[in-house]
Amino acid sequence: MHDARPPSNSLGRDAAALAFEAVTVRYPYQARPAVGPIDLTVRRGERVLLLGPSGCGKSTLLLTATGLIPNSIPSEVGGAIRLVGEPVEARVPADWSARVAYAFQDADQTLCGMRVEDEIAFALESRALPEAEIAACVGVAMRQVGLPDPWRSRRTATLSGGEKQLVALASVLAQDAALLLVDEPTAHLAPLAAERLHRLLMERDPARAMLLVDHRLDGLIAAIDRVVVLDADGRLLAQGPPGALFREQHHALSARGIWSPLASHLDAGLAAAGIVLDPPPLSLDAIFAGLEPGQIVRAKPIVAKFVAGRVGTMPVPASCPVLARLAAAACAPFLGPVILRDVSLEIRAGEVLGILGANGAGKSTLGACLAGVLRPKAGQRIGAMGGIAFQRPETQFTEASVLEELIAALPRRRDRTAPAQDILARWGLSSVSRAHPYQLSQGQKRRLALATLTATERWPLLVLDEPLAGLDARGAEEVEREIERLRHGGCAVALITHDMDFALKVCPRAIVVGEGGILADGPTPVLLRDEALLDRAGLRPPALLPALHWLERVAAC
Amino acid sequence: MLRAIHPLVKLALCLAWIAACLAVFDPRFQIATALIAAAALVLLDRVSPILVLAMTVPFALFGIGFLTTNLAFHEEADFARHIAAHSLFAAPAWSVGITLFLRTIAIGLVSALFAVTTDPGAFVRTLMAYARLSPRVGYALFSVLQIVPELAAEARQIRLAHAMKRGRPPRRLVGPVEAARLLIPLLAFAIRRAGRAAIALEARGLGRAGQRTIVHVPVLGRRDLWFAVVAGGLLSLLLLGTLA
Repeated sequence: MHDARPPSNSLGRDAAALAFEAVTVRYPYQARPAVGPIDLTVRRGERVLLLGPSGCGKSTLLLTATGLIPNSIPSEVGGAIRLVGEPVEARVPADWSARVAYAFQDADQTLCGMRVEDEIAFALESRALPEAEIAACVGVAMRQVGLPDPWRSRRTATLSGGEKQLVALASVLAQDAALLLVDEPTAHLAPLAAERLHRLLMERDPARAMLLVDHRLDGLIAAIDRVVVLDADGRLLAQGPPGALFREQHHALSARGIWSPLASHLDAGLAAAGIVLDPPPLSLDAIFAGLEPGQIVRAKPIVAKFVAGRVGTMPVPASCPVLARLAAAACAPFLGPVILRDVSLEIRAGEVLGILGANGAGKSTLGACLAGVLRPKAGQRIGAMGGIAFQRPETQFTEASVLEELIAALPRRRDRTAPAQDILARWGLSSVSRAHPYQLSQGQKRRLALATLTATERWPLLVLDEPLAGLDARGAEEVEREIERLRHGGCAVALITHDMDFALKVCPRAIVVGEGGILADGPTPVLLRDEALLDRAGLRPPALLPALHWLERVAAC
Repeated sequence: MLRAIHPLVKLALCLAWIAACLAVFDPRFQIATALIAAAALVLLDRVSPILVLAMTVPFALFGIGFLTTNLAFHEEADFARHIAAHSLFAAPAWSVGITLFLRTIAIGLVSALFAVTTDPGAFVRTLMAYARLSPRVGYALFSVLQIVPELAAEARQIRLAHAMKRGRPPRRLVGPVEAARLLIPLLAFAIRRAGRAAIALEARGLGRAGQRTIVHVPVLGRRDLWFAVVAGGLLSLLLLGTLA
């Protein structure tokens, strides 16, 4: 490829792809910086994973890299940023597109409603490349991500979420940039689509550096060269190669609610029992492959305890009343056509039911029908109306402040302010009680939505639609605790999630949605080990599966 | 076939036809225009006749407004009545209103012909390439095309959330109170979404200094020439026939 401006992959041999020197970013009217001061260098060809709790400034840092902050998002930026050897101020953000490519969390944000080939060509058109060269690059990028050629003329609006994210990735790869900045591209993807995206992103290219933010670490972490961890105040907490960092900083990360790979939790348990594997393992497979015969007996109870804490087995007695039942129901989204037929399903008091399936399978529609918010087009629904924590929490906010939102959720009586403040304190939202709900971080919005739904006992059934999206590990633990509290209180919970390990942990029973209906209904540990079913539904087994297999093998020996 | 015609050629002819509809106050011309547009959609572009009929409904409702207004206030339209008195529908109370009604449908169908048979992406690209439309404006139009259905989806989600709080499923039609409650959240969504789209476009090089390549710009060809000759000829014949 060539460019009217300097060539795209023109990093000097010793040049850092990206260097932050004492960088701070402060948004208007905020007393303290959103991130920094921070020093961070990403070298040529290096893949750096940026981790940190929700709201610590990871996305802010990515947007600062090419000057989008402060050029397009007003803020005060201190310190110095050098991109491929040049100060970032030397060009306007758009001029960096030949050297730096962004992959955003939401494909709808990246794409602008054109046809597939036009979307992929966009950045190359900006660089004024000849049309023939653009056509060749588009073809290469489409083949790289596995987009079929007949899709060239399809409008991106007609694609599913996973397909859109692939087109967005193809448009990023077509840029052939020296530095790739990636912000949680798999946050809303089903496991199979997420795995495919990770694989494509991680294809080794010695010329390309990458700074990546992602919470889905299992399956990704082995391809990462270095992990950089930010603390809640946006300062550097730790950095280093992933294996060593997750071992040495395990307790610090857990205490701060920062995601770690599943293997690092088991590794910490084994280390406490004197089993220290070398090199530090990044996957459960690596742990079990690294255990020596003499260590297996000592490891077995640790692995058993590790597994027991991650598989939900609490049965629901048949005597518990059925709270909601769908009988031969035809489910359709609001004002849309029927997408699920002949759905028969019931949920009992105190039950936590997982609703699993690929993007676009109809999980949210089924959840809304189960809650009674949508009437089935055929068949019937029996039971009291339930509540829904929507995928985008903003959807359900109607008041002007966090406190008012909670007051409105409480039953009308003389004083609702004091109880509302108590609930806000329990959910860690007291400090933002006067803020508008739209001003909160994604994690805070999700907590507020859950707080309003669980503030009263109005809802005998709650449907939680992707409650972990945008949350850090601490937020996920809070959701888990709240589900447990609801279950103990006799509430039924239907959990829609793409996180198979979370489903395995909190849902003793699950249904798998796909092919226009319910493909399977049964105990979650059984369903998530059925490879044929998972393939059919576009799902992947949980990361915990090797531990289950290992325990069975050891027990059989 | 109409989809393959160059958007600017199609636009020019459609505008010429609309201008003729405005200039010629004769119901026969309006009927012929509506029939030609409908026939072109059905025969040349395989559009379902039911869809064509459905597309006339909003224009017909609008046209009925003209008709009833002229029936109620016909003494104020002396000039138009004088012209219309020599036409097909010579009854004084009906003639002006019927002609205006037919004109609305004719213009509506010509506009629908352009809208249904033109890829918006190709049209915007053509404007950028031939009419010097700024890429910032052009891609803002693309983004609007993307955001409109998202706004509708967001409105449906918000209505579901409101219905949940009310404790009963949502109605199909939005009432005035519910519409007012949707306004602020949708505005906030649109602003946030537009801001993110702008950042993504800038990150992909929109607004970069210097030239920009525009790929897949429709190219003028022999087919466009033939279309212009046939459609222009038909319009001329119709005008001559009506005036004669």
